[in-house]
Amino acid sequence: MTGTDVTQVEHLQALVREKVWKQLREVARPDSRFHWDFSSFICDFEGSDRCADRVAALRAWRDSELVFVTPDNSTEAVRRIALEHGKPFLMTTYGIRRGFIHIDSSRVPAAERAYAATLDGADVHGRPVTLNDVAAMPRVELLVTGGSAVTLDGLRLGKGHGYFDLEWALLSEIGAVDERSEIVDVVHDCQVVDAVVQPAPHDVRVDWVVTPTRTLRVEGPGHPLGRVLWELVEGTEFEAIPPVVELAARQGRQLQGTGHVIL
Amino acid sequence: MYEHLVVPPRLPCVRDLAGRTLYSHVAGQIQEMVLAGPLGEETVLPPEVELAARLGTSRGTVRRAIGDLEREGLVWRRAGSGTFVNPAARLRRVVWNRLKEVALPDARFHYDFNEFIPDFLGSDRCVEAIGLLPEYRAATTIFIAPDNSLEALRRRALDDGKRLLVWTYGLRRGVLRIDGHEVSTEDRRLAATLDGMERFGHLLDYAELSSIGAIDLVVTGAAAVSREGVHFGKGHGYFDLEWGLLAELGVVGQLTPVVAVVHDCQVVDESVPHAPSDATVDVIVTPSAVLRCGPLPKPTGLIWDRVPRHLARDTPYFTEMWGERTRGRGAA
Repeated sequence: MTGTDVTQVEHLQALVREKVWKQLREVARPDSRFHWDFSSFICDFEGSDRCADRVAALRAWRDSELVFVTPDNSTEAVRRIALEHGKPFLMTTYGIRRGFIHIDSSRVPAAERAYAATLDGADVHGRPVTLNDVAAMPRVELLVTGGSAVTLDGLRLGKGHGYFDLEWALLSEIGAVDERSEIVDVVHDCQVVDAVVQPAPHDVRVDWVVTPTRTLRVEGPGHPLGRVLWELVEGTEFEAIPPVVELAARQGRQLQGTGHVIL
Repeated sequence: MYEHLVVPPRLPCVRDLAGRTLYSHVAGQIQEMVLAGPLGEETVLPPEVELAARLGTSRGTVRRAIGDLEREGLVWRRAGSGTFVNPAARLRRVVWNRLKEVALPDARFHYDFNEFIPDFLGSDRCVEAIGLLPEYRAATTIFIAPDNSLEALRRRALDDGKRLLVWTYGLRRGVLRIDGHEVSTEDRRLAATLDGMERFGHLLDYAELSSIGAIDLVVTGAAAVSREGVHFGKGHGYFDLEWGLLAELGVVGQLTPVVAVVHDCQVVDESVPHAPSDATVDVIVTPSAVLRCGPLPKPTGLIWDRVPRHLARDTPYFTEMWGERTRGRGAA
């Protein structure tokens, strides 16, 4: 795919996103910092606790010793269930800016669980971990993410920054996930799009779409392991992400370094 | 005139990719000079030619570097007069550099202090100290800013059965009323956070806020505060606007005690100038001290010239108040 093609695909994806956001506004819950700015966060919505129950009913949830959950507002209920089930999980800090954290659910007191499930509380109860630490943990067999929209054939659109694709790539590169690891996208029914959307090179397809009313298994070839596309990282703010820096060092790769960052 | 400007040693420049690294390096050097200047004073930078000579670089690079610092609000240029340092921005930068050592990151903004007031090591000791203040003990209704440094205080105030008024972040969606008596013990930890408070609070409309009655105590965090009681926020003027609006409504006034909770490193001894629209504080509480200030006069209302247009247009209360004001004018 050429650069122009990628730009076009991203433009078309942006149109889909914006269309869905209009409907989503009716059922969405605002973010504590970004309010209704859906390009800055993946919002929670009415019925997300029912999605969490559905996720917890999946076989992969039961089988996976360690799950990965994105730091989206819509996946807060999933993190709360993991805490209640004593299931340890990995998550990233918002925008991956401070890398991954690990939450040992069995060590979070019952009265703190609802707090630990929020982004504010995850910082207090989570332990920052490096890719090296993650590589030594049990394999992640289930990943739960939110999104802006998803097609019936499992193409997921995030808020447009590519964070989940990068998370998948980072976990793939260090062997923390494998081809059989299942990806679940937790969305509201209004976010499921019955249309064909062309993927960008870094887009990861999901295996399950879970809404408050449905659990859909996506049929298809599944998803290959991810790779960090360094050409998309170089010269962007992604270069400052700690696990990206760590992976570059592991692979003996020189990063350009970002421009001067004051403070 | 520039005696205080110390030229930092010239570090070896690693790369010079399309000038990017070089000019950002020069911007860093100029920033160091600016930060070494006297706090609270509006100093002038040497002319570009002189700076270029002192830093061993070209005038074009210096100009580009200053352009960067201007975009960040640290300096401003006036044609024909030179480059001036913004004293408030300098003060914030100096304090933020100290604060980095003790600050805790935000769940969304990490260490970007332009966007939030961070919690810090030792804020629990501030809560204990506030718990002993007569102003706190006597208070029924407390206005607490949505700053991370006040999370533990919000928790304590809920435990003490106080009624809290907390603005949503950035003023955007109005004020929440959270009543300590209405939140169960196990929910208070969550109710004290920005992420959790909306689940337990009630978002007030304009009529409800107008009739809330007298606020007994106002507590705010700060980027920095002067020993005299001048408050510096993160640079958006939110606290000034909050105070101004509440003063317009008559629910706070000269006698309403205002407490700032900060780390010791955020208190500056220097006397700093302030405008009549700048909200001031009466008491500074740090992990190690309770400092009584002033009293400095408090703003008696909003100075509409300083209210950003978008706030007047689409922010709860400001919109209504602006509407009343312009209608009133039209009638007159």
